[in-house]
Amino acid sequence: MNSSAAISVVEISKSYGTFRAVDNLSFEVHRGEIFAMLGPNGAGKSTTMRMILDILKPDTGQIAVLGAPLTEATKDRIGYLPEERGLYRNVKVVEMMVYLGTLKGLSRTEAQKRSLALLDRLGMTDQAKKKVSELSKGMQQKIQFAVTVLHEPDLIIVDEPFSGLDPVNSLVLKDLLFSFKERGGTVVMSTHQMSQVEEMCDRLLMISHGQQKLYGAVEDIRQQYALHAIIVEGQGNWAALPGVESIEPIQNGRKATLLHLAPQTTTDSVLAAIAASPDTHIERFEMAVPSLNDIFIRVVEGTSA
Amino acid sequence: MNKMWLVARREYLYNLKRRSFLFAVFGVPIFTFIVWGVVFLVMSDSDNKVSTENKYGYVDLSGVLADPVTPKDKPDQFVAYPDEQSARAALDSKAIPAYFVLPKNYLNTGEVQSYSYDSISSTLKDDLASFLLANLSRGLEDKLPLERIEEPVTLTIRPVDSGRVLTEANLPALIFIPLIFSFVFLMSSNVTSGFLMGGIVEERANRIMEILITSITPFQLLMGKIFGLGALGLTQLVIWGAAGALTVRFGQSFPFLNGISFPVDMMVVFVIFFLVSYFLLASLMAGIGAIVGSEQESRQFASLLSLILVIPFFFLTTFINDPNSPLALALTFIPFTAPMTILLRMGFGSVPIWQLALSLAILLLTSFFVIWASARVFRWGLLLYGKRIGFREVLRVIWSSPEIGVSLKSDSGRTSNV
Repeated sequence: MNSSAAISVVEISKSYGTFRAVDNLSFEVHRGEIFAMLGPNGAGKSTTMRMILDILKPDTGQIAVLGAPLTEATKDRIGYLPEERGLYRNVKVVEMMVYLGTLKGLSRTEAQKRSLALLDRLGMTDQAKKKVSELSKGMQQKIQFAVTVLHEPDLIIVDEPFSGLDPVNSLVLKDLLFSFKERGGTVVMSTHQMSQVEEMCDRLLMISHGQQKLYGAVEDIRQQYALHAIIVEGQGNWAALPGVESIEPIQNGRKATLLHLAPQTTTDSVLAAIAASPDTHIERFEMAVPSLNDIFIRVVEGTSA
Repeated sequence: MNKMWLVARREYLYNLKRRSFLFAVFGVPIFTFIVWGVVFLVMSDSDNKVSTENKYGYVDLSGVLADPVTPKDKPDQFVAYPDEQSARAALDSKAIPAYFVLPKNYLNTGEVQSYSYDSISSTLKDDLASFLLANLSRGLEDKLPLERIEEPVTLTIRPVDSGRVLTEANLPALIFIPLIFSFVFLMSSNVTSGFLMGGIVEERANRIMEILITSITPFQLLMGKIFGLGALGLTQLVIWGAAGALTVRFGQSFPFLNGISFPVDMMVVFVIFFLVSYFLLASLMAGIGAIVGSEQESRQFASLLSLILVIPFFFLTTFINDPNSPLALALTFIPFTAPMTILLRMGFGSVPIWQLALSLAILLLTSFFVIWASARVFRWGLLLYGKRIGFREVLRVIWSSPEIGVSLKSDSGRTSNV
C-alpha cells in the first residue's frame, strides 16, 4: 500500500446478499488532487465512499486513509458530504454548525468563529440565526458543504455536491472546492456532470456494476479515446481535401462534420489545405477528442450490452 | 473534551427547550392539581347539598322509628310519612328528593327500600345508617360509646422493619405516595427515553447519522445520548420533587393531603431504581430506534414498553392486601416491573433488604446486557434505511462475531464479514 496516497484502496469487494455492489476494486487518490468517481446510478460509488469512511465494512480488501486504516483520530481530518443531505431541521444554522464542528474536534469558540466566517463567505450571514428548515434547498446544500469543510480537513469526500444547485450556487461551490484544493486539501467527488469533471478534476475513476471501467488522469483518458479525426463547421468540399479518408456528418448539435484522416496526415496539413482553398469557408476547427460524456455513454453502454 | 459529553450536552440542552418537555415538566403537574382541585370542590359541594338543604322522607312499617331521635352532630334530615301514598305524593311534588320504606320485618332482614327519581348518594346512605343506628341502639349509649358500634376497628399498621406508621386515617396518603412515585417514574422515564428513540429515528431519517458516525463512534453517540437524556430526566425529577415539597409544605390545609410525607428511604430507593431502570429503558429504546423503519413504528414499541412497565398497577389491590404475595415477589424480580413493584410494595408494607438487593442486582445485570446488545445493534442498524429487519436477524447480530459491519446477508446464510 502506498502510504503517501490520500486514499489507497486495494481489492475491495462488497455484497448485499447475492448482489455484488463493489467487485474487486483498487485505486489510489493522490494528495492535493480533485478525484472524480463516476458511474451510472447504482454502480457502487456511494458504497465505495462509505467503505472508505468506515461506515460500511468491505467483505474483503484493505483501505488506507491518509496513510493508515481509518481511526477515530483520522475522522477529525476528514469531511463527508453524504449523497442524501443530512442536517438537523429544527435547529439554528450556527448552532448546528458549531455542534458538528465540535464533534470534529474544534473548540466551541473556534467552531463559532469559523462558522460565521464561512457563512459570511457564502453570503448567508443573515441566515445564521434561522432554523435549517426555513432555508431553501440550495441554501441547505451550501450549509451542508460548509459543515463538510468547517474543521479544515485534509480530505473531503463529497457525494454529488452539485446536484440540485442552480448555476450561481454551483459557481460558489466550485470556488470553495478550488480554494480548498489550493490550501492542499484532497477532494474525492462523485458527480453525474461530466463537464464539471473535465473542468475541475485531475484524475478519475469510473465504475460500473461495481467494477473499474476507467481510471487515470482526465486528459489521458480523453486522449485515449481520441479519434484520428477533425470536427469542422462551415462550407466546403471536405471530402476533397488532401489526407481526408472519409467524412461523416455529426448528428447531434449543429451542422458539423467529422473528417477521418489518413494515418500519415497531420491536423496542421489539413488546416493548411483549408486555408489554401478559396472556396472553403471555415467556422469551427477542432480535434475530435470526445467529451467525457461521450466516453461515459460509450463505456456504460458497452458494459450493459 | 470527550466527544461523548459533547453529544450529552447537546441532547440535554436541545431537549430541555422542547415544548413537549416543558409541558411534561410544568403542564402535567399543574393540570393534575387543577383536576384534583375541581374534584375536591365538587365533592365537598355535593356533600353540603345532601346534609343541609334537603329533607328525605321515610315510611316506617316496622315500628323502629315510632319515636325517632336524631343522632348527635347530625342535622335532622329525615321526615316521617304515615303511609307510602303520602310519601309518594311528596316525592312527585318534589317536596322531598327521595323516601325510604322500612318494611314490617325490617328488624329481621335489615331491608330498606328507597324511592327516588335521582340516584341515592353514598353520603345519604351513611346518614340513613347513622339515623337508624341511633334509634336501634337507644339505651346502649350508657354502657358503651356509640362510635364503637359504628367503627369497632381503627387499624394502625406498623411494619416492623421500616419504622413507618400507617394508620387508616391517612389511607389516602398511604395509597398516594407510591402512586405519586410510580407516576413520576413512568412520566420521566417515558418522556426521556421517548426523546432518545425519537431523536435516533429522526437522525437516521434525515441522514445526519452518516455525518455523526463519520465524526464519532456509534458507542460514543449512544452513550452520549443516554447520559444527556438521563440528566434531563433527573432535571425533571428535581423540579417535580421541589414542587412536591412545596405542595406538602403549603398543602396541609387540604384535608386530602393531610398526612402525606415523602419518606427518605423511599426517596433513596426511588432514585437508585429510577437511574438503573432508566439506563435499561433508554438503551432498549435506542436499540429499537436504530432498527425501526419509521417514527410511527417506534411509537408503537414505546407504548408497548410502557404497558409492560405499568403491569404492577393492575395488581394494586393485591399489593395493598398482601405486599408479600408470590405474585408481588415475582414482579419484584422481573427487571421491567421491578421499579414499580418495589415502590408500590414499599408504600403498603416493607420490602426486605435482600429482596431490594436481589431485585437491583437483576436490574443492573439486565441493564448492562441490554446496553451491550443495543450498542451492537445500534452500529449495525444505523444505516439500514427503510428495510424491515426480522427479530431473528437482530438476535444474530447480537450473538455473531464481535466485528460487525453493516452487511445485510439475507437468506443465503453465508457468514458475515471479517
